[in-house]
Amino acid sequence: MSPLEKKSSCKDVAPLLVFYVCDEVSENERELIEVHLTSCTACSEQLAEEKEFHSALTSASQAADHFDSSGILLSQCRSELAEALDDLSAPPLQEHWRPFGWLRRWMALRPAWSGALLVLVGIALGTQLVPWMQRNSRDTGQAMNVRAPQALTPDQLRNMVVGGINISTSSGSEAPTVQLQVSAEQPMVLTGTADDSRMRQVLTYVVENTDRFDAEKRLDCLEALKAQAQDLQVRNAFLLAARKDQNPAVRLKAVEALRDAASEDEVRQMLLDALEHDNNPGVRVEALNSLVGSLDGGGPDNGTAGAAPAPSPDGEDLDRVVRVLQQLERRDPNRYVRLRSAAALRQLGPREVQ
Amino acid sequence: MPLPRWALALADDHGCSGSTNAALASVTSLPNLDERALVARAQAGSRAAFEELVRRFDRDVLRLALNLMKRPEDARDVYQEAFLKVYRNLHRFRFECSFYTWLYRIVTNVCLDHLRRRQARPEDQAPELNSNHHEEGITDFFERQREHRPTLDPERVLIGQEIKSRITRAMERLSPRERVVFEMKHYQGLKLRAIGDVLGTTEETVKNSLFRATRKLRNELGGLR
Repeated sequence: MSPLEKKSSCKDVAPLLVFYVCDEVSENERELIEVHLTSCTACSEQLAEEKEFHSALTSASQAADHFDSSGILLSQCRSELAEALDDLSAPPLQEHWRPFGWLRRWMALRPAWSGALLVLVGIALGTQLVPWMQRNSRDTGQAMNVRAPQALTPDQLRNMVVGGINISTSSGSEAPTVQLQVSAEQPMVLTGTADDSRMRQVLTYVVENTDRFDAEKRLDCLEALKAQAQDLQVRNAFLLAARKDQNPAVRLKAVEALRDAASEDEVRQMLLDALEHDNNPGVRVEALNSLVGSLDGGGPDNGTAGAAPAPSPDGEDLDRVVRVLQQLERRDPNRYVRLRSAAALRQLGPREVQ
Repeated sequence: MPLPRWALALADDHGCSGSTNAALASVTSLPNLDERALVARAQAGSRAAFEELVRRFDRDVLRLALNLMKRPEDARDVYQEAFLKVYRNLHRFRFECSFYTWLYRIVTNVCLDHLRRRQARPEDQAPELNSNHHEEGITDFFERQREHRPTLDPERVLIGQEIKSRITRAMERLSPRERVVFEMKHYQGLKLRAIGDVLGTTEETVKNSLFRATRKLRNELGGLR
């Protein structure tokens, strides 16, 4: 027995058989194995098994044979790679002018962080910036934009939405200050008095457009314009509201606002129309009071210094007034209207006689 | 015969302004260049040289990826990812090893990443190729191996398919590294030293991996007796 034979044992040789089969042993190991195999049947059997196992593994068809025997997959891979290389080779033109490119890249690579960051920014803006802006606007005592608004264009008026109206009477000025929150192309707050023609423009627009603005807004605007009834634009708006507004409170307010002008012909005609056609007794009562007041030569508020004396109705106008009052006296469902009409007719009777 | 895509790309590389003949000469000479010269050209920015390199090696790369991943879509991802990595990092290649080794290092790393991700997500396991593995009557793996010889007998073909599916399932039991080593040794025909170079480890470590892989496979397949 050679020294090599003596030295080798199954324990040494068996682990090497795997590598012997696939030709991955050194020369020394090969000699050791081959000498040992000549005298060891157990290792020889194990070697046969290893060979068979190796042969079975290497001869079995592989996934690559199954999946890409025709080479189509390889062609697809080459094509996709070429496209990817085209993309890589294309000059990054947009990178030069894209603002915040680094930020977008950062956000694209970290969607979760980006989402969290955006939420935090939103919270910060909502909780800090908006109150800060509101505080600042309060500190200056002004609305968000202008005290004396620019005249709104017809387009702006058409698209205008009124958010709210505040009317405050300051001790130093006769005309109340009106603060109008509107949204016309952009949100704005108009602040001023009804003396301002630009403010009147907006207020009368609201009064005239019954279908666009709710009754509360129209009433507020009427209130703000009440002292401006002598203005032609305002008066026309009031007349329109008194005749056409769907809301009786608005009609009543318009009639009330025109009380001081009741002796004027077009206002008197409006009052008579209201007495004949308005189905709301409150409006008729107010119209009747205004009419009777004008026949008396002016109501309690008609004593404005320097005001022209109220012209009395004559001829056809007076005939119509008497006719309407007689109808009211006979037919009006409201008792107060009937009685008040009778009283007015009695007042007119002696005058006619005179 | 129309010029292939990479030929046109090379023409572009050279500006192609009145020097078509020179460009075509360069293109036609590319397949004759040795690996080192091609790599040098690709490093200098020649897209055509890079594509020629791809064509020299991509068949083996795809085969390795298919055998390891067992799913064509995964193999496609590996192919694309690996070659794009090569393209982006080619300037770092210093010829300290063969390009083939460097390329395979990248490919195997990409494969290992995919396999590890797949192991971490069991729902992504490759579908089994054959569902008849519990069929009664097939008891001795090695007995059946003796029958598995090239033949036209349909029964033996079926048995061969069965064996293949068993091997595939047994391979699933290996760790990603063991699979890579086993695949490269037995199906790519690389020497253990070369596998060590590719994997950036020693030959001894690769040997241990191969030994463990073989034992595991034998246990899996031997358990069918």
